[in-house]
Amino acid sequence: MTIREMSAPVAPTHLDVRVLTDRCAGCQECVIRCPTGALSMDTGHWVALADSDLCVGCRQCVRTCPFSAVVVDGPILVAPRVEARLAHPASLLGDVSEIRSGITGWAEALAEAGRCLQCPDPTCVRGCPAHNDIPGFIAAIRARDLEGAHEVLRRTSVLPDICSRVCNQSAQCEGSCSWSLAGGTPVAIGALERFVADMLPVPPPAPAAPTGELSVGIIGSGPGAAGAAWELLEAGASVTVYEKDAVPGGLCNWGIPDFTLPEAVAARPWHQLASAGVDLRCGTEIRPEDLEQLLETHDAVIAACGAGMPLRLSLPGAELDGVTDATTFLQAAKATLGDGMDAAAFRAAFGLAEDPGAPGRPVPRVLVLGAGNTAMDVARSARRLGLEATCVDWLDERFALTRPDELAEARYEGVEVHFLRTLTALRGKDGRVFGAELARTTQAAADRRPTVVAGDPEVLGIDLVVMAMGYRVDPAFTGALPGTPVRRATSGVADRSWSASGILASPASAFADHLPVGTLALGREIGLWSASLPVTERLWAVGDALIGPATVVEAMAQGRRAAAAVLDAGPARPARPTRPDGDGSSRQRRVLVCYESAGGRTARAADAIAGGFSERGDQVRVLPIARVGLAELAAADVVVVGSWVEGFVVAGVRPAKAMRAWLAGLPRLGGKAVGVFCTFAVAPKGALPAMRQALEARGAVVLGEASFGPRELGKRAEASGAAAFGRELARRSTTKATARVLVE
Amino acid sequence: MALETQDRAARLADPVPVAVRLRPPEREGLAERFGPSDPSPGLDLLRHPLVARLVRNRKFQFLLILPNQIVFWTVIFVGLLGTAVPGLNFGAAITWYVWFCLVFVMMVVVGRAWCAMCPFGGFAEWIQRRTLFQRTQKTLGLGRKFPEPLARLGFLIPVVSFLLLTWIEEFFNIAGPGNPAATSFMVIGIVGTALAFFLVFERRTFCRYICPLTSLIGTVGSMGTVAGFRTRDREVCLTCKTKDCMRGGTDGFGCPWYTWPGSADSNLYCGLCSECYKSCPEDNVGLFLQKPLTSVVAPRRRRADVAWAITLLWGLVLYQQINATTAYASVENWMNRNLHFPHYPNPVDYLGVIGLGALATAGVVRGIAALLARRDVELSRPGSFADSSSRFRAYFLPVSYGLIPVVGADYFARQLPKFFQHSARVVPAAAHIFGFSSSSSPIYSFSLATNSWIVVIQIAVVALGTLAAAWSTWRITGRELVSISRSGLGVRLATLGLVLGCGAVAAVLYLIMHAAD
Ligand code: SF4
Ligand code: SF4
Ligand code: SF4
Ligand code: SF4
Ligand code: SF4
Ligand code: SF4
Repeated sequence: MTIREMSAPVAPTHLDVRVLTDRCAGCQECVIRCPTGALSMDTGHWVALADSDLCVGCRQCVRTCPFSAVVVDGPILVAPRVEARLAHPASLLGDVSEIRSGITGWAEALAEAGRCLQCPDPTCVRGCPAHNDIPGFIAAIRARDLEGAHEVLRRTSVLPDICSRVCNQSAQCEGSCSWSLAGGTPVAIGALERFVADMLPVPPPAPAAPTGELSVGIIGSGPGAAGAAWELLEAGASVTVYEKDAVPGGLCNWGIPDFTLPEAVAARPWHQLASAGVDLRCGTEIRPEDLEQLLETHDAVIAACGAGMPLRLSLPGAELDGVTDATTFLQAAKATLGDGMDAAAFRAAFGLAEDPGAPGRPVPRVLVLGAGNTAMDVARSARRLGLEATCVDWLDERFALTRPDELAEARYEGVEVHFLRTLTALRGKDGRVFGAELARTTQAAADRRPTVVAGDPEVLGIDLVVMAMGYRVDPAFTGALPGTPVRRATSGVADRSWSASGILASPASAFADHLPVGTLALGREIGLWSASLPVTERLWAVGDALIGPATVVEAMAQGRRAAAAVLDAGPARPARPTRPDGDGSSRQRRVLVCYESAGGRTARAADAIAGGFSERGDQVRVLPIARVGLAELAAADVVVVGSWVEGFVVAGVRPAKAMRAWLAGLPRLGGKAVGVFCTFAVAPKGALPAMRQALEARGAVVLGEASFGPRELGKRAEASGAAAFGRELARRSTTKATARVLVE
Repeated sequence: MALETQDRAARLADPVPVAVRLRPPEREGLAERFGPSDPSPGLDLLRHPLVARLVRNRKFQFLLILPNQIVFWTVIFVGLLGTAVPGLNFGAAITWYVWFCLVFVMMVVVGRAWCAMCPFGGFAEWIQRRTLFQRTQKTLGLGRKFPEPLARLGFLIPVVSFLLLTWIEEFFNIAGPGNPAATSFMVIGIVGTALAFFLVFERRTFCRYICPLTSLIGTVGSMGTVAGFRTRDREVCLTCKTKDCMRGGTDGFGCPWYTWPGSADSNLYCGLCSECYKSCPEDNVGLFLQKPLTSVVAPRRRRADVAWAITLLWGLVLYQQINATTAYASVENWMNRNLHFPHYPNPVDYLGVIGLGALATAGVVRGIAALLARRDVELSRPGSFADSSSRFRAYFLPVSYGLIPVVGADYFARQLPKFFQHSARVVPAAAHIFGFSSSSSPIYSFSLATNSWIVVIQIAVVALGTLAAAWSTWRITGRELVSISRSGLGVRLATLGLVLGCGAVAAVLYLIMHAAD
């Protein structure tokens, strides 16, 4: 059976794929990516050859051909998507059962799995923040091998049951699915992922025998913490988790209502982690000022403290009674709904005296500010507590950050959602809020701020206002974690293999709510790689603490990445007893020499310095700075940075422009050992100190600096001067302890 | 720690590549396909560090374009504002006495050297890229793809635009040169058209699909000794994950000519812009020299559009020669009178002679094919204009490539009189911009050779071209036609006969033209 028959049982119609033989250069980019084998090579002419009969119209060839030499005409040949069913309860009041019931049977799962093309260069994987091997686990489903599917998922995720429920797939994996990029309906990846976890519980962590050596403290117990703890535990580290609440889970626990994420699912990871040996200390709040002490107790600390502070608007009437925030509301709602439903007590707590259903009295109305995830959760919880709920958001519905499925469900449940409205003032009586003034707005494009339209405000009678625009990180923590929040915006040339995959080529399909999924995914990469670099020595940050409000899957992936970086770096607290064979030195050190060279002299100096390191058996990479990204920095134990010096003889002498720009864009390099050098014609002047400062400002530890003038760089002296510097750096960086002494 | 080093590294590694399972690229037939046309590694100019540094520099092409840019804007302004005496007008003089001849020399010796320094495309490209030489990320304009049905015609549009430009040029007597302002208007026209195409379409769509010169430079240029920018190691290209040379990388743009160094088999479509060299992250691109005529003889893939372009260009040069004869002048007059057309060149006979020349050549080849093709070899495959094959095409494509040197030589010979008789005028013309010198200056009427010498040189050039064509055709016939023909010797003699015939026609026409003078 061909893929075409498998994924589209309907008889194909006039689908035509043609290669423009004049322009086709035979590079095979399309051939190696076509999922169906419809493209092959005409080896005589060395151009691609298309077979329309095998084509399914996924347009991957069109997206990936560098010379736009393929044309596909005709429909997208894929069977209709198996939509997961919704289970709306007969009566909402007090009901917290899960609304989405997912794919329930093998027949449906296999049908949906059959829609997957098993793309050779799967864009869905790039779109998934955790980079789950989606075709891999779907192939396992097809083979009815649930264990295999878990095995594949486990390589990148520890929360498949949770992510598959709370991810906004339309902006992530499903938005980036080939079918979606081609304008069709993507494979229901989230539903399939959930199917795996529903059918066979996520296997618990398999902890390695603890060696008792590496001890890591994790602040918080949200998804980032879970990812990190899991990874560390399985590597044999001893893990201590400090959670300020009485129950672990962070936002997954109190912030996401049960009808989206059932409590049993949310609690699963911490049950498993605690029984596998994580030292879970609930009710222990870590303040920023406690960090120092924590770093003395542990070899490494991962800050996964989350964003728990609700955003509040300041506007006339905000101080009135009956104005609250999402955290307070959701926590109370969760407690009430999960706990025998004492709705009267709940209403009393929020000053809503009226008894719903009593004749002649209106049902209390909650005004929810915002229409994002949090707002939907608030409004839907309110409906379950017997209240009316209205959401207002100043964005246009087309550009809003709401999950489309969630919005539809909320509306079904009777939530009124108004877009293009903004709250201008609250009206009160006797100190209690009773009305809201709403103005209309317009928004021209997704990246434009909405503007208020002049006119009389509408007045809405309300009894409670919940500010649910989202959360922010405790500013005290942001201050203690330098360099955060990291901005997830790319600049310059995008990662080349991403461009080659075609994910950036059609940025906005209807299914993905016209979001540029590729660009968003590339932005997330910055967060992911940043998580592997410590913010200060032995201190890592993940999730909200690193990038500001983050999604569950992003936090989890960053947690895993930070844990991997901790394991890789093998940090040690000063008081830790050392082992005879040393710890960080048990593997070959990786050195990165990066340079900005104009005439080739700096490049040659870089080579010579690299030679100094390799003599000691280090593994050295020499790269121009244009090719040094976060991944390269993350993988290096020692970084040497060199530049030529620009300026006129002695005036305006400084590091080359490209180097200055690169230094300015550097992430945190907390505690990373670095060396600095420059090459000059007349005098280096302030170039070295400038580079040193830029690096130290990012937390790097400078081991040494050197400048090489024309004499040192002369044909023969060059090698010796720079190589000697390399050898010296190599010697100084042999142990981190020495490095510290040198700097003091 | 209990963990093995490898495990640690794997944890920190990017998980995406694990899920990427590309099909292996096709490698079959590579040696056969590219063996004959691949240049030898020793002829890579970029192995020399100094050349490499020069070409790596982003200002390299800018510095090639800049002097030409200055000259051509001078041509425009001097043509419009300067003296109306063509020989004394720097704009007209340098364009027609020197430039056209130099372009020919560059074509024959190098290939697309002109394209690397061309001020028309160069100017439009600066604007399209919003920079003179930097690697920018955003382009100006619509960035459309050239419509597929037109792109399929390949070289046919440029050859038609060359015929059109030549007709306009003859009609207004621009290249004579006549009124220098006409030269300015022509140059403005070309620059304007180029700019329009660069702003509507992506990359060098204009150069590849429209530019009148591209058909001549592409075909005649294949005699050149520069193979162009090519891959150093094809295996590296096949497994290359980024194809930065095509898509554009950190330091260079994607190939503006839609050429992949990994599969280029001739210098036909390499504009020598060096972008691929700059963008390749693997340093896998070289600038290779080759033996003269390699790009005529060696490429395995023959293209129908190129073949027709060659024969049409052949028709055009024949037309230009024929109408310089006395006998033809009376025919032309008679036609213009009866068709009420103001003056030379009458489009009917213009197209008529060109078409006849092309069709006659094709007809002879058709005859050869009919007579000599083996019936037991399957040669036909249906397809679009660019892809289909037939018995006729199996002969026509290789044979027309073999004609390139004789066509090229003929064009070159035709430029010689202007060069020999008048190129010295550039000096007084240049001085005239500043108000010195006049047509009475002795340099103005200085001729590099007498008329009879010029004819001798012209015939020698044609003879040389014919010889080169004969050699190429012999090789091509041996490689591609003998195996599909009933008689090896027969087909060799037949194709050779065609080449010699063409050469003889050109030479005889020069003699008659001389007599007409
Ligand atoms: S549209 Fe998809 S299936 Fe069809 S040829 Fe292109 S890549 Fe292959
Ligand atoms: S990707 Fe484009 S240029 Fe490359 S082989 Fe396919 S059709 Fe040809
Ligand atoms: S983790 Fe989220 S984004 Fe990734 S595959 Fe699962 S549902 Fe999709
Ligand atoms: S889920 Fe979509 S993008 Fe991913 S492999 Fe399947 S068809 Fe391709
Ligand atoms: S970028 Fe370099 S290695 Fe890759 S295909 Fe182009 S020339 Fe080859
Ligand atoms: S990019 Fe390379 S192959 Fe393309 S035209 Fe320029 S030099 Fe030639």
